[in-house]
Amino acid sequence: MKDMYILAIETSCDETSCSIVKNGSIDVATIILSQIDIHTNFGGVVPEIASRHHLKNITMVIEGCLDKAKMKMDDIDAFAVTYGPGLIGSLLVGVEAAKTLAYIYKKPLIPVHHIAGHIYANNITKKMVYPLIALVVSGGHTELIYMKGEYEFERLGGTLDDAVGESYDKVARVIGVGYPGGPVIDKMAKMGTHEYNLPIPLNDSSYNFSFSGLKSAVINLSHNCNQRGIELNKENLATSFQDVVVETIVKKTIMALKDKNVNHLIIAGGVAANSGIREELKKECEKNNIYCSYPDLKYCTDNATMIGAAAYFAYKKGYTANSYLNANSNIDLV
Amino acid sequence: MKTLYLDTSSSFLYCAILEDDNIIATVSEKLGNSLSILTLPKIEELLNNNNINIEEINKIVACNGPGSFTGIRIGLTIAKTISWAKKIPIVLISSLEAMALSSLSYDYVVPSIDARRNYVYASVFDKKNNSFIMNEKYVSLDTLEIVLDNLDGSICYISNDDIKTDYDLQPYIPDFKRIIEFVKDREPVNPHLVDANYLKITEAEENFLKSSND
Repeated sequence: MKDMYILAIETSCDETSCSIVKNGSIDVATIILSQIDIHTNFGGVVPEIASRHHLKNITMVIEGCLDKAKMKMDDIDAFAVTYGPGLIGSLLVGVEAAKTLAYIYKKPLIPVHHIAGHIYANNITKKMVYPLIALVVSGGHTELIYMKGEYEFERLGGTLDDAVGESYDKVARVIGVGYPGGPVIDKMAKMGTHEYNLPIPLNDSSYNFSFSGLKSAVINLSHNCNQRGIELNKENLATSFQDVVVETIVKKTIMALKDKNVNHLIIAGGVAANSGIREELKKECEKNNIYCSYPDLKYCTDNATMIGAAAYFAYKKGYTANSYLNANSNIDLV
Repeated sequence: MKTLYLDTSSSFLYCAILEDDNIIATVSEKLGNSLSILTLPKIEELLNNNNINIEEINKIVACNGPGSFTGIRIGLTIAKTISWAKKIPIVLISSLEAMALSSLSYDYVVPSIDARRNYVYASVFDKKNNSFIMNEKYVSLDTLEIVLDNLDGSICYISNDDIKTDYDLQPYIPDFKRIIEFVKDREPVNPHLVDANYLKITEAEENFLKSSND
């Protein structure tokens, strides 16, 4: 088959990104314009501000990507875009831009689900082998997906309330260590001991997660200490919190692998960069003879490379869209 | 010389193709939430039905607000992408400027867009002198009415929203010819720099500024 170059756009949250990906696995060029410094002032992503920046940056990011790849639009075989889930105003900028490009250049338009993108970030590092279980953990998602074959998704379970990354951010806010909370708490957790008793969230036999109760427990603990004039040991709280998060994620992931009789696990999403989660999963997988992989750290957070990778396999399965494509903030992965 | 006009700053899609001063085809349609789905297909349809290739367009005139934040971004993303990709010069016009260019026979027209909580995005256009006596603003209706009460002459609001006022209120019907004529000599903008004119910072920014001033 002839080489296929896909120009992909990702604007589902606060990164404006464009990437050219060859054959679903080679990152030819990627530009990511992050707004993280802007949203830090507000303690989290402000949707309207994110959308405003996407509109400002969209064509510059696309041009920057073509320049970096030393390619022209004529060299592009198809366009891909994240159409959901995500922040609707943000998604729309990417979707309208991709639709317009596909129309102007009369090339296929491939709609990509954001989670499919996170999963296929793994294919850039190493070719994915099926069947597999994908654990997607990020600021907006906590999902366990079973993949029988290429671009076939079966959602086993996910969070019923907060995403795991979201709970890190909220706990970081309670103990006053800033936004985003994941990397900071991960670092602090390495320095503390498991001093505080926190509840293990949704400790059942389903594949679902729930992190809002855990977050409340941390808030209560903090209030309680404040009232009694006891100083909370932040490192120990970070360790106690991370231990509980890791335990519940590892337990349910290994359960899914065993139930489905699958020996390949991939970890995806921004929280895949969390060393606590990664190392514990690796250890458990080794124990159970399960092959565990995760993307390069730069492909863990939101980027268009993963969208371009997923789009290649989506296209092979016949998924294309036309000018009527809409963004959807809340769609299932099927 | 073919011009493509695009305004998605309200729940309406206003789109037109003009050949010099002559209107070739137009769309004026209330699309509401379907704006994100239908804006591009409607542009395609307009071009196809008139056998015009996108490459034949010499100029894009796009409305950059104020109005619906999401609406503005839909039209501007399409407009700046076409302009950048096909190297077609793009000129921006404010939605309130476009609204002021109606042929109503009043001394003053007041293009207004509902901004909620008794606020509007508005300006006041003096038809006789062909100039704005109040530039576009995010303003409370009460303040705006005080400005209008002090004017001498007949006054009419132009709006598709339900503006609570005792002055006359006429719906907005774009006069595409006058709009294109109005921006004839306006300098094109670098497509990368095409941005919306929201006239209002976000609530999060307001609160942030308030808290940093305390």
